[in-house]
Amino acid sequence: MGQGPVSGAGGGAAGPRQSPLVLARSTDAAPRARGLAWHRVNRVQERLLAYALILPVALLIAGLIAYPFFNAIWLSLTEKMVGYPAHFVGLKNYVTLWDSARFRIVAWNSVVYTVGSIGAKVVIGLAMAAALQKAVRGTQFLRGFLLLPWVIPTVVIALTWRWLLDLYRGLVNVSLLDLGIIKAGFHWLGNPDLAMLSVIIANVWRGFPFFGVSFLAAMQTVPQDLYDAASVDGASAWQQFWRISLPSIKGVVAIVTLLSTIWTLNDFNIVYIMTRGGPGAATHIFATYSYELGIQSQRWGMAMAASMYSLPVIALLIVFVVRYLHRDEVAS
Amino acid sequence: MRRMSLRIVVIVLIVALAWALQPARAADVKLTLWRLKTYIPPADKILDTTIQDCAKKIGAEVQIQTYTFDDMWTKYTAAIESKTLPDIAEFDAVGPARLANLGRLSDVSDLVGIVTRELGELAQNAEGAVKFGGKFYAVPHYSNALLLFYRKDLLEKVGAQPPDTWEAINEISVKIKKAGILDYPQGFPWNRTGDGYDPAMSLLWSYGAAWVDKSGKYIGMPKDKAVQAIKVATAPYLTDKTAALDYLSWSGSGNNEAFMAGKVAFTPNGPSILFQEDSTKHPLRKDTAIKIMPNGPAGRNLALTFVMNWGVPVDGKNQKEARAVVACIMSKEKFTAYMTGSFQQAVPLFRNLLNNDYWNNADGKVIVETVKLGRPVGWPGPTTPAAAEVISSNVLTDMMTRVIVDKVTPEKAVDEANQRIKEIYDRLPVK
Repeated sequence: MGQGPVSGAGGGAAGPRQSPLVLARSTDAAPRARGLAWHRVNRVQERLLAYALILPVALLIAGLIAYPFFNAIWLSLTEKMVGYPAHFVGLKNYVTLWDSARFRIVAWNSVVYTVGSIGAKVVIGLAMAAALQKAVRGTQFLRGFLLLPWVIPTVVIALTWRWLLDLYRGLVNVSLLDLGIIKAGFHWLGNPDLAMLSVIIANVWRGFPFFGVSFLAAMQTVPQDLYDAASVDGASAWQQFWRISLPSIKGVVAIVTLLSTIWTLNDFNIVYIMTRGGPGAATHIFATYSYELGIQSQRWGMAMAASMYSLPVIALLIVFVVRYLHRDEVAS
Repeated sequence: MRRMSLRIVVIVLIVALAWALQPARAADVKLTLWRLKTYIPPADKILDTTIQDCAKKIGAEVQIQTYTFDDMWTKYTAAIESKTLPDIAEFDAVGPARLANLGRLSDVSDLVGIVTRELGELAQNAEGAVKFGGKFYAVPHYSNALLLFYRKDLLEKVGAQPPDTWEAINEISVKIKKAGILDYPQGFPWNRTGDGYDPAMSLLWSYGAAWVDKSGKYIGMPKDKAVQAIKVATAPYLTDKTAALDYLSWSGSGNNEAFMAGKVAFTPNGPSILFQEDSTKHPLRKDTAIKIMPNGPAGRNLALTFVMNWGVPVDGKNQKEARAVVACIMSKEKFTAYMTGSFQQAVPLFRNLLNNDYWNNADGKVIVETVKLGRPVGWPGPTTPAAAEVISSNVLTDMMTRVIVDKVTPEKAVDEANQRIKEIYDRLPVK
């Protein structure tokens, strides 16, 4: 390979004479061709190496995310009882659930639980961030301390709130009674409206530190000059928060809110431990209802369909989050 | 050097060959056993010792895993699908029906025969949960009686006799409330726990509101009778105000705690409250009494729901050893040790031990009588997967809470429940 032109140039006698330019070109072409070929081989090798390196992760994703996900979709289209083979029934499970008054209650409860929890977490999180931003002493300690609910296992949180809200022995009722504020204890977990409020309170308590710390981190990136200028112009603290802080951190607010919405919509532990979806079906949400259908009643197909009903909402939210993140990336 | 290496290789080969050709050692048999973790730890300890002794006796090793009532079906569901059921499984009242219908349990009629010879005839009311198509698919272990717990001191204060009917419980509760003794004396939680659905079945059946005939075929709850039962169950929450809405959210131990805290005068439970009060020298022990669950217009048809049974899943590779261990656990000597150490939690389902002196006391007689009067899940028919699902999907207690929480009429609640039950029976025909 590449020997011909060189030998031709050197031999000279047999072949026609070539101009020096042509000669130079031909002597250049050989190493370039060699280089190109080498480059090509190298690129293939690199690609192979890249695929080899990606393969374990790809297999993990396929096995742990793609397979369960598509299997769940498949199961939701079948009549599948635990231990029995699955029979394809198309959209029957979805239609049955849609027609079920009980499922509609579950769907509504899921909306109330999610919107109520997220709304409260955003407000409390913003307040926490604004307060901590102004705090001078002990800010680091306070930040760590306020993160406690976020790091405590959810099971412990749910059991603690269950005890706090107990009719007879709960700290909330006992305190209110002892202070003479009420004459009879609230039925926090027995009254359908209060039960929903109770599980929302527990969820908010667990989740607000995540909001607060994220918002605080974002607020601290806002240049101090803006606040100083606003102060000179006579802006109040509220105006500074509303006109400077909030617009500056709206990206973080959106992402944190959307992520937390996805988590809350899929929440199970708090509701199951505190009320098991009761009283009646007053706090039954997608996750607890799916558990009841799938594990207790052994109806996997129906349970998957119940879970899948929240999928379009979650998918939309994921699209929003990804687009938002992408927009931020492009902007930066 | 080469010769040395060759020698080592030969020695290794000989040792490997000898190890491979040795007769199977008994300790090579490794069994797995799943059992319920009960509210009586000392009884659990006795059972574990028994299991280990029995395994040792046949030269096997046994690994015991436990589950609670809350996670039992999570564990079994995963094992059914992945075909990893244990060698020996302790099931609740509906487990044998569910798994036998799937063809996942071995026929243990021979084992039941062995146990019967030693412990006496199997109680008729226990057969329905373990015998299908003339074959036994599980060996009944014990029953935990659902009792009516009441405060005798409070009843004395209002001049009432221990109640024998559901209406009497309601009336006495009103008296206690009116006397200003307790705000909410009636602790019947119609919720998603055994303390909810067990009494719900007893109440409905005692009012003649069963949903199947004797063959186990769906007939639907007679509306008038079911409505009557619902009215009795919901009056304390809706009209008498003798039950707190909060009771609907109790966990499995919520009613135990409320009773022992002196907040309720009546509650349904197994004997575990007696154990807890005895072991803590509780001040209310002297005022705590038990009674057979109430009578109804159609008789005293008590649900025998808390029945535990030993099954030998077909997944197990050591069927012979698994059967030997079950036979040993159910031998007279071993079972008597467990029964007498169970704080009256483990009521035998084989006749001879029911006459044991251990039960010859006031509480013991009530407990044994309760089990004798018990009806299997799916009564008056046999226990079937459909009957199991009626309980597990909370149809009966939902019927009560639809009236209490959602304020629908009892008639509508019965219609809805019948519709759900029919759908279950249509979907789950018995093989």
